[in-house]
Amino acid sequence: MFVNITIPNWSDFAHFVPEAIMFGAFLLALMGDVIVRGRKPVVPFLITLLGALAALYYSFASPPVGDAGVLGSLVMIDSFAGFFRIVFSFVAVVTILFSWSSEEIMGSTREHKGEYYALIALMTGGMMVMAEARDLVMLFMSMELVALTSYVMAGYMRNSLRSTEASLKYVIFGAVSSGIMLFGMSLLFGMTGQMTFVGIRDALVANPVNDLSMLVVLIMIMAGFGYKIAMVPFHFWCPDVYEGAPTPVSAFFSVGPKAAGFALMIRFFFTVFQPIVDTIDWPLMIAILSAVTMTYGNIVAVKQTNVKRLLAYSSIAHVGYLLMGFLLLTPGGLQAILFYLLVYAVMNLGAFMFVSAINNSIKSEELSDYAGLGFRAPWASVMMFIFLVSLVGLPPAAGFIGKLYLFTEVLREGWYWLAIVGVLNSVISLFYYMQIARAMYFEKVPEDAPAVKIAPLHYVTMALLAVPTLILGLYWSEFKAIADQAIAGF
Amino acid sequence: MVIGLNHYLILAAALFLTGAAGVLARRNTLIMLMGVEIMLCSVNIVFAAYSRALGDMSGHVFVIMNFAIAAAEAAIGLAILVAIYRIKRSVNADELNSLKE
Amino acid sequence: MGDMVFYLFALMTVLSGFFVVFSKNIVHAGFSLMFTLFGVAGLFAMLGADFLAITQTMVYIGGVLVLVLFVVMMTRIPAQNLPKSSFNRKIPAGIFSVLIFAIVFKVIGGTEWNVLPVDAPEATISMIGQKLLTEFIFPFEYASIVLLLAMIGAAILIRERKIDDDEEVQS
Repeated sequence: MFVNITIPNWSDFAHFVPEAIMFGAFLLALMGDVIVRGRKPVVPFLITLLGALAALYYSFASPPVGDAGVLGSLVMIDSFAGFFRIVFSFVAVVTILFSWSSEEIMGSTREHKGEYYALIALMTGGMMVMAEARDLVMLFMSMELVALTSYVMAGYMRNSLRSTEASLKYVIFGAVSSGIMLFGMSLLFGMTGQMTFVGIRDALVANPVNDLSMLVVLIMIMAGFGYKIAMVPFHFWCPDVYEGAPTPVSAFFSVGPKAAGFALMIRFFFTVFQPIVDTIDWPLMIAILSAVTMTYGNIVAVKQTNVKRLLAYSSIAHVGYLLMGFLLLTPGGLQAILFYLLVYAVMNLGAFMFVSAINNSIKSEELSDYAGLGFRAPWASVMMFIFLVSLVGLPPAAGFIGKLYLFTEVLREGWYWLAIVGVLNSVISLFYYMQIARAMYFEKVPEDAPAVKIAPLHYVTMALLAVPTLILGLYWSEFKAIADQAIAGF
Repeated sequence: MVIGLNHYLILAAALFLTGAAGVLARRNTLIMLMGVEIMLCSVNIVFAAYSRALGDMSGHVFVIMNFAIAAAEAAIGLAILVAIYRIKRSVNADELNSLKE
Repeated sequence: MGDMVFYLFALMTVLSGFFVVFSKNIVHAGFSLMFTLFGVAGLFAMLGADFLAITQTMVYIGGVLVLVLFVVMMTRIPAQNLPKSSFNRKIPAGIFSVLIFAIVFKVIGGTEWNVLPVDAPEATISMIGQKLLTEFIFPFEYASIVLLLAMIGAAILIRERKIDDDEEVQS
């Protein structure tokens, strides 16, 4: 009975250098935190920062070439995975750098700051694996690793009831939605007898399953993904968690796991459902989900007075825009999603970072406390203005180009009503984003306003995000080519 | 009637929805977590049944991975529950409303 | 005979599952969860999945259930104080569940599944071991990271900490 064993090729582990660096940084940072005890967790900070930089360098320096699956074809290191490696390690570098000067995380009343950096490293590694999974087992496990890490991070970083409560909601919603997704995956396994995405696709093409079964399975799997990317109606956790967690953590959550969820979703749906997209009502389903998500996010965001909560709802709205690219599962649409994810990562991270930098001085995230910030912190406010313009989707910022590609794809596929809904939504979003700008520039500075002092490191990281926001808006073709190439590698 | 695959699937579906109903209807977070465990168990039954029907051991491997994840999820979920109980002296979801809407 | 055993296990699993979910007493719920998990282990055994049945017993009953019961005792709430689930949540939950069950029932009934082979399979443990160390080596290694995280994460979450007064006042 021991005849048909294929020994895995152990040298395949050499393909996982960035992931190995991040997981290694996690372990080393934890150990370093125990060994070197100080007032500030210098060792974990340095280890994870260097690790993230090394991962970023490696992702650029030696991009993956082959598109063959490695280690029993459960994971795939292709240019698509390479693209997300770059995005995630960049996000990690920025978040780690920023957190060092953030009072919310490094403040004197906080304890156990070292573990924060370790968990960021672990989550980054997990997100990279999410972009590589090409099998139901790895899909589930990589999603769960990132989810479990985020539960821990949401729960322990603030010693407050609100933070713990947010993480409890997060766990319960998360566990239920992953349970629903698992049930769908088990039915899919039963229908096809396959675990790999490619195998499932081939089986579905060879023996089509009846429409109702397919739809039920699709909806169940969508529940898991929808939770991960905070799509309506699986978004309940999102505003609470973002508000309850410290701002740098919210920034990381709003960009990292969301992009990883999209990566996994693109690979799964593109591989499995692309050939049979016409037999199910896929475009209609996605169009409705997209329209509902963006409309809900934008309309609720208008009423918010807490800037962090406002940005949480706006990130839900951006998921709606991103979903437009999924309409027909064409490569063009997916390329537009990838480019928009890149843009979204930069600008949304920047907006959250501004909120956190301001919170350092004035200890508030209320819109009313932002009055006159344009004069109290001129440089930071200018950068925030760039992020806001980009989030609305106005030229010359990157958000405009990102949205342009998405809308072009929607129009090319003939979904005019969805494009109109999208444009109307952008108008609504203009209103609430400009509320922030109005508070910053057109409201008088209150007499008793506390002085705003921005840490030098915060200037550096925000500039690190503001400059790409402008560059991507002016010279995007190079970056679009990277995104295009990532999809072409499928 | 011989016990076939459908019997197992329908049993698993019933179990799954029992767990789901528990999460939806109950307000005690501990019972909600127990409901989630029941949901995960029902998925395991489906995988094991298909594995038998298809003669493919991959389903069994999935179940084992699911054990690991379910245990990890239970550990973290219960830890958060204990943390919140320390602060609030309650695990009732209705009383957890400090985050404004 | 085999049919009788199946129905016995099925009845035990579902009934005790119902009891977990709708019991008024949380200690009773915790203990009836044991019967649910044991019933599932029995079903695994009936499916010829001997290794899974043993693992289910050890991991769920020996691990997860003990953890749940610890927490039940730690967060011991007097039984009469247990919140009643309000009427307006029970009805939608019930309707939702029955509706989904109907859909899933239709899906299961409407799909052509292969029937179970009659002959009992041989011991599965060596086959699972081969799968785990060849085809599924990556998730096997990955599971160790997940479990490490669970251990560290649980320790991080429940250690003693100060509660910030200022944030308490805000909330």
